[in-house]
Amino acid sequence: MVPANMIAEAFANTFTPMCLFLIWFGTIIGIIFGSIPGLSATMAVVLFLPLTFGMETTQGLALLCGLYMGGISGGLISAILLKIPGTPSSISTVFDGGPMAERGEAGRALGVGILFSALGSILGILALMFISPLLAMVCLLFSAADYFAVAVFALSIIASLSGKDMLNGLFAGLIGIAFSMVGMAPIDAAVRFTFGNYQLMSGFDITVLLIGVFAITDIILSGFGREHLADKMEKKKYKLRGYGLSVQEFIQQIPNLIISSIIGIGIGILPGIGGSTSGLLAYTTAKNRSKYPEKFGTGIIDGVIASETANNATVGGSMIPLLCMGIPGNTVAAIFLGGLQVHAISPGPLIFDKSGQYVYGIYLALIISTIFMLIFERLLLPLFVKLLDIPKHILLPCIVVMCCVGGYSANSRVFDVQCILIFGLLGLLFKFLKIPSTPLIIGFIVGAMFEENLRQALQAGHGSWSVFLTRPIAMGFFIVTIISCFMTVRKNLADKKAAEAAGKAFDTSEEEG
Amino acid sequence: MSNKQRNLLTSVLFLAFGVFFLIQAKGVPHKIESDVGSGYVPAFIAILFIIVAAAKLIITLTRKDPYDDVVEKSDDSLVGGVVTIAIMFVYMMAFEPVGFVLSSIIFLFALMNWFANSENRNIPIFAIISIIMPIAVDALFVFVIKMPLPKGIIGF
Repeated sequence: MVPANMIAEAFANTFTPMCLFLIWFGTIIGIIFGSIPGLSATMAVVLFLPLTFGMETTQGLALLCGLYMGGISGGLISAILLKIPGTPSSISTVFDGGPMAERGEAGRALGVGILFSALGSILGILALMFISPLLAMVCLLFSAADYFAVAVFALSIIASLSGKDMLNGLFAGLIGIAFSMVGMAPIDAAVRFTFGNYQLMSGFDITVLLIGVFAITDIILSGFGREHLADKMEKKKYKLRGYGLSVQEFIQQIPNLIISSIIGIGIGILPGIGGSTSGLLAYTTAKNRSKYPEKFGTGIIDGVIASETANNATVGGSMIPLLCMGIPGNTVAAIFLGGLQVHAISPGPLIFDKSGQYVYGIYLALIISTIFMLIFERLLLPLFVKLLDIPKHILLPCIVVMCCVGGYSANSRVFDVQCILIFGLLGLLFKFLKIPSTPLIIGFIVGAMFEENLRQALQAGHGSWSVFLTRPIAMGFFIVTIISCFMTVRKNLADKKAAEAAGKAFDTSEEEG
Repeated sequence: MSNKQRNLLTSVLFLAFGVFFLIQAKGVPHKIESDVGSGYVPAFIAILFIIVAAAKLIITLTRKDPYDDVVEKSDDSLVGGVVTIAIMFVYMMAFEPVGFVLSSIIFLFALMNWFANSENRNIPIFAIISIIMPIAVDALFVFVIKMPLPKGIIGF
């Protein structure tokens, strides 16, 4: 199909009442999940992924886009009013948003945060629109050996998503690959690791794994900490007119907006680094180049703007390697990749030729979601603030029911519902052993790509591994993989030394959520 | 459990899993002559498991870390977690024979009561939400998504 026709089809599919409603709905639900501490953008996308199965592809992806965008932005509400980031992406919003709220400027912080979240998102989406087609053209030159190298590189993300202990991250990644091998094998359809259970012939469903590891595990953990479920959090009051800043202030903040967006987009493109890092990096950059760095942390809009612009720009940035190479840059992107696969869309260089109408649909959905976020996060702010009061002892059981329904609807079989609990318990074991969960998902998703391309490349090379040495692209990816792992190990060692110098224990279980 | 004990347990668990996975991978039939076979990559992964687990075991046994013997204090309730898992287990087992609506009503009411403390336990509200939510979800799936959820032996 000609690109112009695909764009026209994307417009026709997206600008329908149902699709627009789904984007609006996804954005609102995403904001709610993002704003309530304990819930997250990840959980929102995971929970609603099964609902998209029966939807037309553009509509299903549009809902996921709304959830992703809203979820990342919603974290600023609790970051400012409760001084607890609703999502890890909003950690640095607390630094100045919290003091502003204490000074009675919560409304101004919220307004500025919402406005610059939207602007950061738009700049991130523009980067996605312009960089993705170029990257896809380069990726057209890839062979099976190169794709295997890409898969190895994607797996190296595990190193940076492993918290501070790379070996634990490797365990999780390998378990993910092992789970991806259950059922019928690629190429020769040999049945393996089913242990006589016919339900395992088709393997594990990505949705079931995601729901179990990310939602059920958290709810079981809430059971362990049920004594604290009712703990009240002090919530600041707010007053807000417009978006809380003048035109002159807006113009003054344009350099901050541009620099923070570039940081957010760059961090989004780099695999394994999430919104929290982009927010922190943008905050530090804004502070370093400010004429009044001493005021950062005391409650100024510059800090809120840097953090919120960068973390939302990361959304667009993270979509670039996801769509062009199938490399998920962070946890939510990994789940989004699962969503694409559910709708039979194969990310990669041919995505613009084979599924261009859906890619352009994603662009449009992200833009519309950003506009909805700008309007409705502001208009419905009183509602979102009120929702912070929903008791966890009522909310969490309802989420379990939605998880089970989601698991069931994946393949209309109760076996998947039971698998949710098994994966939830696996996630619990991971928490206990301080093993991060995100590498498990990366391993599960990339596992099939890894195996298929390795076997095809070895077939082409008559079983010899030297086939990889003859491909410059593959060699390039292997070198980048080694450098990436080396840098991660070096950073972890430096962090460990710093932690020991500060007399603190070294936590090995940190990860983006 | 101290950090060292936790690392030892992790190493042993994954070492055992690696060996088990390798044995299973060796049993996968080789069907196409020119292909390396469907057991090749699993065996490769199993060997990686064994190498990583052995590396972790050696590091744990030989390294001296001042935080190795630190035991993290937690006020989490073991009973709270175990009962939560038990309630979920019963619900997921009852999902098909009892049916979605009925099993969900009982599950929601039970878990809300378990999660609530004496101060915020509000039985009438719990009962209302427990009844309305599953019926609404069932209606959504039956009439909007057109995917009926399990009805169970009593057809409800």
